[in-house]
Amino acid sequence: MNTIDATEHYSTSAHDRPPSLLTVILDTNPHAWAQLSSQSALPLSTAVANILVFLNAHLACNYANEVAVVASHTQKATWLYPVAAASPDSNQPPRDKDGDTPMPSHNRPPPPHEMNKYRPFRIVEEQVTQNLHRLLGGTTADDLSATTSTLMAGALTLALSHINRRTIAWAEAHGGETDPNAHANNTTTTSTNTAGGAAAASGGDKASTESGLQSRILILSVSSATGAAHQYIPIMNAIFACQRLQIPIDVCKLAGDAVFLQQAADATKGVYMALAEPRGLLQYLMMAFLPDQRSRRHLILPTRVDVDFRAACFCHRRVVDIGFVCSICLSIFCEPLEKGECLTCGSVLEMGDYGAKPAVVARKKKKKKVRGPGNGASATPTPTPTPGP
Amino acid sequence: MAAAPSSRPFEYLESLPGTVFFKLYQQPSTALAIFRRMLPDLAKCFVMALLYLKDPLPAADLEVWVKSESLKERDNALSILGRLHILSNTVIANNVRAYMVTNPFAASLRHALTGAEQTQSFGVLAHPPNAAAVSIANLDDYARRQWEGVLGYMVGTSGLGIQRDVNLSKGVKQLLQAGHLVEIRGTRVDITKDGFAFVLQDVSTQVWHILILYVESAEAIGMDSVEVLSFVFLLSSLELGQSYEKRHLTANQLRTLADLADFGIVYQESPEAAHFYPTRLATTLTSDSSALSNPIAGSLAGNPTGDPSSSSAANKAGTGFIIIETNYRLYAYTSSPLQISLIALFTTLKYRFPNLITGKITRQSIRRAVEMGITADQIISYLSTHAHPQMRKHNTSRSTSNQAGIPQSILPPTVVDQIRLWQLERDRVQATAGFLFKDFVSLAEYEAPCRYAEEIGVLVWKSDRKRMFFVTRHEQVAAFLRSRK
Repeated sequence: MNTIDATEHYSTSAHDRPPSLLTVILDTNPHAWAQLSSQSALPLSTAVANILVFLNAHLACNYANEVAVVASHTQKATWLYPVAAASPDSNQPPRDKDGDTPMPSHNRPPPPHEMNKYRPFRIVEEQVTQNLHRLLGGTTADDLSATTSTLMAGALTLALSHINRRTIAWAEAHGGETDPNAHANNTTTTSTNTAGGAAAASGGDKASTESGLQSRILILSVSSATGAAHQYIPIMNAIFACQRLQIPIDVCKLAGDAVFLQQAADATKGVYMALAEPRGLLQYLMMAFLPDQRSRRHLILPTRVDVDFRAACFCHRRVVDIGFVCSICLSIFCEPLEKGECLTCGSVLEMGDYGAKPAVVARKKKKKKVRGPGNGASATPTPTPTPGP
Repeated sequence: MAAAPSSRPFEYLESLPGTVFFKLYQQPSTALAIFRRMLPDLAKCFVMALLYLKDPLPAADLEVWVKSESLKERDNALSILGRLHILSNTVIANNVRAYMVTNPFAASLRHALTGAEQTQSFGVLAHPPNAAAVSIANLDDYARRQWEGVLGYMVGTSGLGIQRDVNLSKGVKQLLQAGHLVEIRGTRVDITKDGFAFVLQDVSTQVWHILILYVESAEAIGMDSVEVLSFVFLLSSLELGQSYEKRHLTANQLRTLADLADFGIVYQESPEAAHFYPTRLATTLTSDSSALSNPIAGSLAGNPTGDPSSSSAANKAGTGFIIIETNYRLYAYTSSPLQISLIALFTTLKYRFPNLITGKITRQSIRRAVEMGITADQIISYLSTHAHPQMRKHNTSRSTSNQAGIPQSILPPTVVDQIRLWQLERDRVQATAGFLFKDFVSLAEYEAPCRYAEEIGVLVWKSDRKRMFFVTRHEQVAAFLRSRK
């Protein structure tokens, strides 16, 4: 009788593995790449070649796996793959309205000797290299002198919207496949959904996060984050959206420092790695970033223990260690507000006697000094609050 | 076994000698297909992690990589990789055990990922004049007709008025007979127990079954099984809706091509045509069964949409057509005589409407099916494969209230359990072929291999008191025992 309840039946459906969608955000900031290739001999072309192999490896893992590639450039974020087949021309105008960068390459038939490649691999490769060429070719000197940072927030948003679209499409096509493995997530998902309201807007499909298409984002970052402080709010919003949709953000840091990306990986339970030896990019990618969510349950993955939780203030976009927080809307400011009025929600706040010396200094100081060095310098353990609109 | 992928092709491959693997792995397409189709997730991670390493990875490092609570998955993955001759154990300096990806496989997989020099491993595209191109819809239609014809021939639906426009070649019939799926007595065709099991499987499993049968029989008629097998893997990596050149193929491959065309796995306008088209049956060979909700499965299921030409396959909502209620009533939205006769195997049919049949699963109907040699598992997997999208949706909405730990099933649990119970009334003994390990001197000596066998997933039964255990495969346990001495 015991055999009746045995899991034989259920395990037969367990190898119905839902496919996964990998979205790679490639930081194409020319300033940062120029610096990186001079320092560690990893030019963009080599990096792209490595990434393409990595994408192929992801596609090879499952018949239905998908990839998408977004470029986060200095003045815009744009798709490298997939680009709608008919629209490369319609996408053109904003880029080369000056008309002097003709791109005849995208229509030429592939040379016959490349025939021997698995077709999906070749399509990805061709589109990515082509679109990257077009993007870099279309970048003018004026664009570069204007800014030195990269549009990470825009790229993250593009990636998220694509993931959302694919998730809905997949769920529609498959009518909510069941995956017993993902079952454990149920309760957490529902609670966040009710709390989050509109954020999990994927057609009310809780199933999509647990048994549908498994999505994740990989950011290859080269720019340093100091320039990105002005994007603090949109980046954090994207991170919270990912957190809610259970999309891990993996960060592969080739150069620079990335304050917010550390938080991104930490909040979404993604992998964060700063590469000590950027020339070994492919091996890092294959080993640490290839396993999808299902395999990650079995593997010990590199994560960062000392996450930099610093936030950027809402008034000057400075990265601050200690700031002032509005008690109503939790906005962060780097200096006391004039008139005590919160810039975001307009609440009038009392500063109390900030800056005044407390009356009972003598005793407390002694106690604090003993503990002082232990926890004084470390970052505040409280996570950053949701920034306002 | 959860981690064992699609057992049938895997078992066949496993039974091959190592030299065959050496020859098989020469082709990038074969390496890719085996990597994709045969390996569990964790094994894929291992292979990819090791693929671009110059030196073998010490075993200790690999073991540290996996969480301690996932030992079972790890050993299972390593065991499958070993059995398929993908990962090999070597010893590097200081007597440290290390793993590396074996060579023809590693080189081929790298070629598959990066693109190789002149090999025709992924087929050569033909560029026919546009007018001559065959649309995907036509290919699907062709594949469906042929495949349904094969199944219909087995079940003997001719009495039910199936259109006999499908002419099965003699080779197809011989293959079915050689595989003991049917028995031919005079002019009558009788389906066997294996045949019943076969027709109730999902399409991709059926295709694999046929292909393996074909490869096995290929040797008998003097073809090199490796050549045929690698051609099958080549087919699986082609793209639907494209035509491919035939002139690069060898004589044996051409012969295979002609035979597979009878099954609807490939299409060629005429046997003399210079190019061929793979159909969806071929291109989805390396997919999991979850990708089965494709137009073929849909139209095989007799989906009344009847318009496979809707080019956007993704928009088609599911492919199931069977609704089963907790009161054992069954509703099937189909008009295909094949599906009706399949359902009739284990259901008492009641009414038939133009696009719907209704019936009830009863004790008698299940007993009848079991007597014919159909198992409860087959019935259940058939029902859940073809479950209506409505049932899947219903299931997901219900799943939140489910207690954690109990996996959800698409079918009502009462029905599933009852079908199993009805089967148990009849057959109470199940035979498993395997090997018994006994006469251990001490408990410790018994426990270690026993635990190892459990971890690699071959343990069937054990008795701590008698110090015996029973496994389905003995090679690795024996190797384990040897390594401990």
